[in-house]
Amino acid sequence: MTGLIHWEDIEVGQVERFGRYEVSAEEIVEYARQFDPQPFHLDEEAGRHSIFGGLIASGWHTAAMLMRMICDHALGNAATVGAVGFDGLKWLTPVRPGDVLSVETRAVDKAPSRSRPELGSVKVENRVFNQHGVAVMMLTSIALYRRRPAR
Amino acid sequence: MKYFEDFRVGETDELGSYTMTEAEIVAFARKYDPQPFHVDPQAARGSIFGGLIASGWHTCAILMRLSVEAARREHSAATGSPGVDSCRWLKPVRPGDTLSGRTEVLDTQPSRTKPFGFVRRRVEMLNQRGDVVLSIVGISMYRRRPEPDR
Repeated sequence: MTGLIHWEDIEVGQVERFGRYEVSAEEIVEYARQFDPQPFHLDEEAGRHSIFGGLIASGWHTAAMLMRMICDHALGNAATVGAVGFDGLKWLTPVRPGDVLSVETRAVDKAPSRSRPELGSVKVENRVFNQHGVAVMMLTSIALYRRRPAR
Repeated sequence: MKYFEDFRVGETDELGSYTMTEAEIVAFARKYDPQPFHVDPQAARGSIFGGLIASGWHTCAILMRLSVEAARREHSAATGSPGVDSCRWLKPVRPGDTLSGRTEVLDTQPSRTKPFGFVRRRVEMLNQRGDVVLSIVGISMYRRRPEPDR
């Protein structure tokens, strides 16, 4: 357990880059059918007639893909217990079929939990990039980590 | 058709409702958020949540689904979103919970360069006990009413 990254181990300012997520048209449409059935998320032809000029992923799908990349990177390595929420989510550029996404995170702040002494929060700026190095989405998440037991 | 010009600050609306099943919670989380307390009922019992809970991104996805259905009912000229100011996952969402939504328009702003406008809303999702489980302030874009009708 002590090998896991705990709240004390996070340094404000630390940057990590990770993840590789290939976005397919099939997955874009599958997500959209379930959760965001707007024409420009469901159909290439309908997308062409929209302000986006083609099929694009639901922004919530991009957020879900970010979460998957974070899990693949951190699960089993970090003593995280979920998140409080996020601020400042911006969908900057459409995500299209064939895009390959990756992540850059920066820890910007941390604080001990006031109500739960065994936990601490970390504010993390997350940026998702496509294969051209263009940022497609950003958000600042507030993640909860376990603190190391007092010795 | 409900255009940007038709939204009023302070206007409220009810979204529909949706009941979360364990199978859906696990299927979503396996794909996008495979933390033990989202995918493994047994591991979840030993977590700080005391049982399986939905990924917060799943709750956001359900909010989106209910919002799209509401937009369809009122024939709104919705055309995507630039982002979300804030989102808080206030209470865990568990299998069998029935979520419903309510919205309030906080602010409207025409685009200076494009033929649409921005509507900022607070959206809250509540469970069947009336607890707010999710609170979001998000921005949606709507097309402007065509010139001859303005």
